[in-house]
Formats: sequence, C-alpha cells, structure tokens
Amino acid sequence: MQNSLKRTWAVLGFVAALAAMVATTATAAHKAVNIVIWTDSDRAAAVTKVANDWAAKNGATVKVVTKNFGDIRDNLGTVAAADAPDVITAAHDWTGQLAANGLVQPLFLSAAVKKQFPSYTLNAFSYGTAVKKLYGVPAAVENIGLVVNTKLAKAPKTFAQLESEALAVKKKSHLSFGIAVQQGSGGDAYHMYPFFSGLGGYVFGTNKAGNLDPSDIGVASPALIKNSKLVDKWNKEGLLSSKVDAAAAQNAFLKGQTAFWITGPWNADTLKKSGLKFQVMQVPAIVKPSVPFLGVQGFMVTKFASDHGVGSAATDLVTNFMATPSAQTQLAAANGRPPANSLAKSSDPVLRQFSAASKGGVPMPNIPQMNSVWGDLGQAWVKSTKGSGATPAATAFKTAARAIADKIG
Amino acid sequence: MSTATAAAQPTQPFRPGLISRGVALFSGYPGYVIKMILLGLTNAVAVWAAYVLIDRSRWVALAILVLATLAIDFVYLAPRRWTLPLKFLIPGTVFLIGFQIVPIIYTIEIAFSNYSTGHIATKSEAIKQIKINSLQPPPNGKQYEMSPARDKDGNLVLILHEDTSGAVYAGTKKGLTPLPKSDVEVDETGIPTSAKGFKLITGAELFTLDTQLRDLKIPTKGDAAIQPQGVRQAVELQPTLRFDPQRNQFVRITDGVVFKDNGQGAFASVQNPKDELEPGWKAFVGVANFKKLATNPLYRTPFLHVFVWTFVYATLTVFLSFAAGLFVAIALDKKGLRGQKLYRSVLVIPYAIPGFLALLVWAGLLNDDFGVVNQLLGHVGIHVPWLFDATWARVSVVMVSVWATTPYFFLVSMGALQSIPSELTEAARVDGGGGWQIFRRVTLPLLMVAVAPLMIASFAFNFNNFGAIYLLTGGGPYSGTSSIAGSTDILITYTYKLAIATGKGNDYGLASTVGIIIFFIVATISWIAFSRTKSLESLR
Repeated sequence: MQNSLKRTWAVLGFVAALAAMVATTATAAHKAVNIVIWTDSDRAAAVTKVANDWAAKNGATVKVVTKNFGDIRDNLGTVAAADAPDVITAAHDWTGQLAANGLVQPLFLSAAVKKQFPSYTLNAFSYGTAVKKLYGVPAAVENIGLVVNTKLAKAPKTFAQLESEALAVKKKSHLSFGIAVQQGSGGDAYHMYPFFSGLGGYVFGTNKAGNLDPSDIGVASPALIKNSKLVDKWNKEGLLSSKVDAAAAQNAFLKGQTAFWITGPWNADTLKKSGLKFQVMQVPAIVKPSVPFLGVQGFMVTKFASDHGVGSAATDLVTNFMATPSAQTQLAAANGRPPANSLAKSSDPVLRQFSAASKGGVPMPNIPQMNSVWGDLGQAWVKSTKGSGATPAATAFKTAARAIADKIG
Repeated sequence: MSTATAAAQPTQPFRPGLISRGVALFSGYPGYVIKMILLGLTNAVAVWAAYVLIDRSRWVALAILVLATLAIDFVYLAPRRWTLPLKFLIPGTVFLIGFQIVPIIYTIEIAFSNYSTGHIATKSEAIKQIKINSLQPPPNGKQYEMSPARDKDGNLVLILHEDTSGAVYAGTKKGLTPLPKSDVEVDETGIPTSAKGFKLITGAELFTLDTQLRDLKIPTKGDAAIQPQGVRQAVELQPTLRFDPQRNQFVRITDGVVFKDNGQGAFASVQNPKDELEPGWKAFVGVANFKKLATNPLYRTPFLHVFVWTFVYATLTVFLSFAAGLFVAIALDKKGLRGQKLYRSVLVIPYAIPGFLALLVWAGLLNDDFGVVNQLLGHVGIHVPWLFDATWARVSVVMVSVWATTPYFFLVSMGALQSIPSELTEAARVDGGGGWQIFRRVTLPLLMVAVAPLMIASFAFNFNNFGAIYLLTGGGPYSGTSSIAGSTDILITYTYKLAIATGKGNDYGLASTVGIIIFFIVATISWIAFSRTKSLESLR
C-alpha cells in the first residue's frame, strides 16, 4: 500500500507539472507588442484586413476577437485586465457611458484629419461634463429614411402629399395602416423620431457650453404639444398604428400593400433583392424638418491599452490609420453603411440615398441619461397611435416627459 | 427455526443483472486508473488556477483553492473509513459552492455597494482617469506631428513639426529647442522623416517606447506641456484639475472650486454636491440601496403591485397546469386504450419545444391585427386585444405559461398515479365509494405526497420566469401610473428594467438588492409550503 501511495503521488505530481508548463507558455505568449481588437461579426473581416495592413507596415501584431455588438459595451466593464481589448468597435451612443466609467481614452486628431469628417460625427463621439473630449474616430454613419415604392406612389414633396398617397394605397389594399413604421407593444422611439422632430420635439437641449443638458427635456416641448393634435388625426385616419411590429412592416411593404416604409440601410440588401422599384428620401417636413436620428459607428481606444503597454500603438492605429479615406471605405463597406470620412464616398447608390436622407439629422444623445428616455418615449407613441382607445397625444407625451424627468432624478 | 426453513428451500445460484455486471467491470484495476485520471485532472486544473491567481495577486482565493485541493486529495486517497460518505458528497458540494454560494455572496456584496454606470472602477483608477480627462489644450495651444528619435548620446528626443508655421523643434524633458528647417525633412502629412544629428526610431522598436513616451512631457509655459499622443502626434495640453493627495480632493485651477470625496464613490463639488467628476468608483454605501427602494416613490409604488401580480401569476400557472395535467393523466390512465403512446407524444410537445422559440411564436400568434388567433376569431366576429390591453395581456401570459407547463405535470402525474397501489382504489370501491370520492379521499392525498414538492419547485421557477413575460409582452401594456413597471411585469423583469432603463443605466447595486428581496420571498414561501405538505413524513 505504501508503494502504491508513492506511485499515486508521483502520477499526480507529473500531471501537475505538465499543467504548470502549459500555463507558463500560455501566459508568456502575451508579452509581444500585440493589439487586441474587439469587433462584431459583420466587420470582422474588414477590421482584420485594415489592422493587418497597419501591423505589416509597423512590425506589430493584431488579434481580432469577434463578439456580439451589444456585448462589446457590456463586457468592457467587467472583463479582466489580462483579457481586455485595446481597441473596440463602438456605436457613438456608448460614448457617455464608457467615458463615465473611465474605460476609454481621449483622442486627438490633427487639424487636417479633423477637416475630413463632418463635425456632427466628431461631436457624436465627444463627451464631457466639464471638458468635452473626443473619445472615438468615426467610421460609418447610419440613419433611417423613407423608402417609397415608386410604382405605387410618387415620391412626396410635402407631408400632405405623403398623407394622401399613403391613405389612398391603404384604402385600395384594405390594410389597417398607411405608413409601415415598426413599433410593437414595446414601442420604438428610434423609428418614430422623424415624426417626433417634425412636430417640433427634441430629446435633450444644449446648454451654453454646447453640451447636452439632461435637465432640459423636450419630450413635451411647447412646440410638440401645440402640434400634437396632428398625431390624434393620424391615429384616427389610420396613417400610423403602433400594432405594427418590424415583421409586419417589412411584409406589408414587400407585398405591395403599402407604398411607404421607414427603415434603415440594414435592409438595403432586402430591398435590392425584392425586385421593387424604390427610392429612399427623408420624411417630408411636417411643421419642422423631419430629421432622423443619426447613428455613428467608429473605433475607440480603451484604457487597457496603456495598461498593456501598447497605448501609443493603439492610438496610432485608430487615429492615423483607421481615419484615412481608404481604410474608411473598407470599414464602412463591410457593414453596408456609408463611410464617415467625407473624402471616402460609398459606391452603392442605395447607401448614397440613405446618406442624402440624413441631412440635418441629430446624433442620438450619447450621455448615459439617454437610457431613461427610450422606453418612455416609445410608449408615448404606442399609447397615442394605438387605434381605438388611444390616449390623446398631448397627455401621452406630457406623462412621458414627467416619467423621464423622475427617472433621471 | 430460521435455519430449518432456510435449509428446506433449494438454493439457486445468484446471477446479478446486466447493469450490475457492467458496473462490476469498473472495479479493481480499471476503476483505479479512472480514479487516478480524474484526480490528476482535478489537480492539474488546480495548479493552473493557482498560477492565474498568483499572477493576479488574489491571495484569499489562492488559499481557499489550495485547502480545497488538499482536502479532495486526502478524501479520495487516504484509506480512512470516515471519508467514505464524503467521496460521494464532494463533487456535488464543490459545484454547489462554486455556482450557487459564491454568486450569492457576490450579489450580497454588490447590493451593499453603488456598482452602476460611473461607479465601476477602483478609486486609484478613477483618479488616474480624471487626471487624464482634465487635460485640455491651452488657449493658443499647438499640435505637432512628431517622430521619436535618439540624439548623439542615445537619449530619447521628439522631433516636432508644427503644421501651420512649418517650424521644427527637438523636444526633451527640459523644453523645446528650435531646429533649422533645412535640417529636417517631412513627408506629405507633416511627419518628420529625417533630422540632421538625430537617428529616427522606426519599425517595431517604435512601439516598445510606450512607457517612455508617456513620461516624456515637454514643458512650454506654466502648467502646459507637450505630450505625445500615439507615436506620430504631440499635443500641447495643460491640466485643469490639481490633485491634493493629503486632503484627498481635486481643485479646479481656473476658479479654485474644490471637489471632495463625498463617500458615495465620487469627487463632488463642495458648493454644488450634484456636480461630480467623472469617472467615479465603486464604493460601499451600506443600506442606501435598500433605503432607496423603501422611500423613493418611483420604485416603491410599483413594487407592491408587481409583487402581488407575480404571486398571482405563479400560483395560477402552477394550479391550472397541475389540474389540466392531472385531468389528462387520469383520462389516459386506462388499460387497453389504443394509441396511448401517440397521445402521450403529442401532449408532451409543448414541453419539448425550446421556451424562447415557443414564446416568440406565441407573441406573433397573439398579435392584435396580424396574428393567426385573431384572424380565426375574426371569422366569428370576436376581436380580443390579446397583448395590448392590460387585463387580456395578463390572461395571455397565464395562458401561454399553462400551455407550456401542463405537459410537465401530465408526465409527473402519470408516474405518480401508477405508483398508487390499485388495491387501495379497489378497496375503496368495495366500501361503496363513488368516482369523485375515491379521487378526493384516496388518489389525491397519495398523489400530493409525490407531487407537492414538484409544485413548490414549479412555483419558485414561475415566480422568476423572466422569459415567459419579457418575450411575450416585454412587461406588458403600461398603465398611466408607473413608467417602469408594466401590467404584466413580475419582480424579476421589474428588476431588469430598474437595472437597465433608469437613471444612468446599469444600476447593478439596486438590481442586486431586489434580487436579494426576491430570494427571501421565494425562500419563505417555499419553506412554509414544504412544512405544510406531508411529503417528508415518510422520511421521518
């Protein structure tokens, strides 16, 4: 028994030693100048190519890790420092939350490079309660637009024309709504924003320093309340209905039951494959221009880069290389979006139409307080366009404004 | 007397069954080898984990790991009698502690902290980041293209080229030295490519200078200094906040406003406590989260409604599913019924379909205008606002949950019914009992002995059935009174919304607090229910 016990310890010791060796080699491999990039599956190929071009030019190595787009923001706060990325793909409305958590580094672009980007794209990635700083380099822009089935209706020049055409098609096809815009029982404030801005509403005002002011909530602004009777009219005539969800909206448009669909460039492929003749334009002005929310996607340098000793390398990759027009074209094309750099133009005609529909658009507020807005603003629309038994719009939006103010505190 | 009867019966050779013989194959040498392999693997994992923990200086976790590994080795290797029961208990206990106890401890720890957006870093990280964020270009601050280089003595020098004027400098910790323009060549973007008297650093070596570049600040005027940003740019920046480590506060240089540590994980201005420096850090806040739930009307008012609805929802689901499942089980419990296997397979389908899939399909089926259900009912002239009206949404949610849970109780009841000895029902019939009386007095009590614990478990599951509510209605139609809790929200979806969609978002501290309260509610109800059933009587 003594002999077998010794044998046992010998076996265990051998296995333990093996494990130790494996562990040492695994961790030692991390010590070279290696930049870790987190990106989503759509962009992984383009990011790998662009990053490898940069790495080859500079004698470094890059490792591209694919994650779910939403997980990139959520996991950045909880990941262990050894596994953390140095560069991330980001949506601009994450800027406030990531900067408030101290997870991303401020960046400085040279004046020449700054001129190549529309100022709203740089503003979208800027944040700061005291001093506003740039935290990311924009790569692609997206916004929703009004897709018109040019065989069923003519591209409307005024909102009244849009209304009459939509209702005419609705009557012919016996559909329960005129314009296909997705809401569903959870609401969708993003897709309803053109109507919201067209009626004179806004989310957050700006203070004297030009920063978003979370105490100035325009969800029930005087202009919006004054024009809210239009919402009640649209509800009564069935122009809009909150019972329509994403699938219903898409089906109605593709089957030709409605001539108007409000959606974004993520459906560009669907539209092209459908064989319909269509045109993308901005929703016609109601009382004010019906501008959409703008989403800007880009790249940020995390605070882990300097912890890993590759801070300057990561900054160089993002601010110098990824901002160049050629890299921008590749990065934006991978996700089917127009590039942010004005010198890099998209060759896709549908994407160019979406770009044109973004004129005057408002970037989604990137401060963390925006989290409290989406739910209530969406619900205000759901309640006021429910069909029969809908709440009057003025009441719905006033309730929403009060709830948002309470939540932000 | 016993020996006489034993000798009277002819003894038959004992032949163990197939399974026993299969298990017996593993005893002796093969079993020993498997045991060594498993123990070896456990030790290997422990060694690797120890390496990682040492690397990250987690000494408490390391101590626990070493003690646990030694204990496991001792139990499985040392030939003592009292370790035998432990050999069976250890795997389950290790996983219970690892996946249940440890997360509970973490949740409790988070509930007493302010872990949320803006408060996830440590204090030293927050101070470091505030200092970085406070740097700002001074008025007339300049930006330069830069190339790191080494001078004749091998010291690190920055060759700077200013865009607007074209002036070139050599920068060191001591300051800027102008260079003649002819000495330096720049490329089309303005980055210096060569400088007389200096050897430019290129290639892979450029990126190994990270720490040195960060420390190299070229002073210009007053507090301002030119700092490298990346490897090709340098920007003149000056700090707007000054940190005072002794007094643990930041002072704004322009107007002297003092930001003191406010004990809640942030530096807040003394004049205006709402003006905080970002980022903050995770701090221990005691019972502040519990107080917020109890006193803030925004959270407190919906809490009671949501709790009552959660209780009603879980109870209705369990009782209706049990009733329906038992009814079907009794109906199918006839000897000689043809097609029994077919009925059973079809009835189990709702339980077999993945919940997520089923719920999303139901959400589509119950859609107001486009769902199949309303289209069928439309032929008869009925229109039900399934998911858009508060009451009907609650009905829909219970309906779908019952649909998904009935097969489970059907299977359980079928098994429990067959375990009731038929002599009891026959005796009751002989005694003159009718069908319903037999059911109530004989079948049901015996059934409940087996099924009651399962009903309690199912109640606990449905109390926290996030998917069934969130995927079907998203929390349901919102009434006018509350903006966080909808009419079909249960406690767990309410917690999720509190955490994600309030304030600055991601308030994990508050969510953990509600999680602890839910745990106590479910534990109390389960304990009361268990002590009322007679299930454990047979064990006693």
